[in-house]
Amino acid sequence: MTIELILDGKRTALEILPGQNLLQALRGASRFSVKLGCETGDCGSCTVLLDGEPVNSCVVAAARAAGRSVTTLEGLLGDPLMQRLQRELVDKGAVQCGYCSPGMLISLYALLKQDEAPTDRDVREALSGNLCRCTGYVKPVEAALAVAATLGGAS
Amino acid sequence: MWDLKEYRYASSPEDAVALLRKGPGRGMFIAGGTDLLLFPPACDFVVDVSRAGIDRLAATPDGDLFLGAAATLHTLTTDPLVTGFAGGAVSHAAAHCGNRPVRSTATLGGNLCNALPSADMAPVLIALDATCYIADVDNQESIPLVDFFTGPRRTVLGDRLLVGVALPAEAGRRVCRSRKLTRSAEDISLVQVAVALGMEGGRLDQVRIALGAVAPVPLRAGLAETALTDLDYHSDCTAAVADAAEIAAGECDPISDHRASAEYRRDMVRVLTGRLIAECLDDLRRGGNGGAA
Repeated sequence: MTIELILDGKRTALEILPGQNLLQALRGASRFSVKLGCETGDCGSCTVLLDGEPVNSCVVAAARAAGRSVTTLEGLLGDPLMQRLQRELVDKGAVQCGYCSPGMLISLYALLKQDEAPTDRDVREALSGNLCRCTGYVKPVEAALAVAATLGGAS
Repeated sequence: MWDLKEYRYASSPEDAVALLRKGPGRGMFIAGGTDLLLFPPACDFVVDVSRAGIDRLAATPDGDLFLGAAATLHTLTTDPLVTGFAGGAVSHAAAHCGNRPVRSTATLGGNLCNALPSADMAPVLIALDATCYIADVDNQESIPLVDFFTGPRRTVLGDRLLVGVALPAEAGRRVCRSRKLTRSAEDISLVQVAVALGMEGGRLDQVRIALGAVAPVPLRAGLAETALTDLDYHSDCTAAVADAAEIAAGECDPISDHRASAEYRRDMVRVLTGRLIAECLDDLRRGGNGGAA
């Protein structure tokens, strides 16, 4: 079946199978930032934005994205907020093997789009669906708070 | 990959039921899909109900709250209609389901229709006297949520669609707290307890104690509720609370599995029920909903 969606800001037609998950469909469309980790909705390495909300694309049916907006890291590479998050994750040493980084970036981007002055707890909640097997859990929080401190809503 | 032949989109509840019955083969409804894609059941097609107009939240002028079945758990966590009802007890329960990206897509209806004995949203909604609205092609039926579940992964639905649940305004004025016991924050619940207490002239009224994950279906601890009814909550309630908690533990019917033993689950029903009643009583003495934490 064919679905039409807004993929990374562009109207796109995707050929999918009815039982396919969104993760597979996106990788089929060359969105390789969308990582296959657990495929059970636990690890968050496949996190993308569906109508602006972070979702695990492995447990979302591809067909569900028809008529909706899907944003992957590839679609945000030119976005100033995403660029600051990427820079800060690197500067704070929050990137080790890097496999979880795209998912973490998407989760943090979604948080800061909705809340420019998150608390430490808010950031940790936003990252609750992102596992890092290098166990780097403190530095991503520090990076997100550092970026938030430069945004308008910082107190 | 899930071996589906067809993915259909429903535009209304009636359309959804018709599309399900049209065949050929076995069909299922899909909303958020977080459970179905995790363990894809054998079926030929699915009917997507996320565009069937059943994702709305609404309050009536009388203060009843309607929660559409396709509302996401994240919406329940954040929407002011829900955070303002019964001290935010429903929002609190929703916020403790899964993780943030799962809550973006997982729906209230999916959690209930999947009908796991440990469905996280069931106890708090039962404690608030939720009524389910079920659509057929030409009519709707409403039944109490506590009667919705018929066994593990089984409900009264058949090939009908859950369109939402309604909570009466009176329940919104109760103090209500819920808690679940899990190994890790995201894990499947070992025990869930929800307590809601109403008051009438300084005495407890409309006492509700709902238990999850400790029987084939979520249930009310009716004997424990009766034991607390008419209690003067300004008196020393320590003994009455301990009694009610003990009675509730006797009313559940847990299993032993790899997650926990039946004995442990039963004792945790006692512990959590006692704590939640005590916390609700404190809320009442302070004059209202103290929040759901």
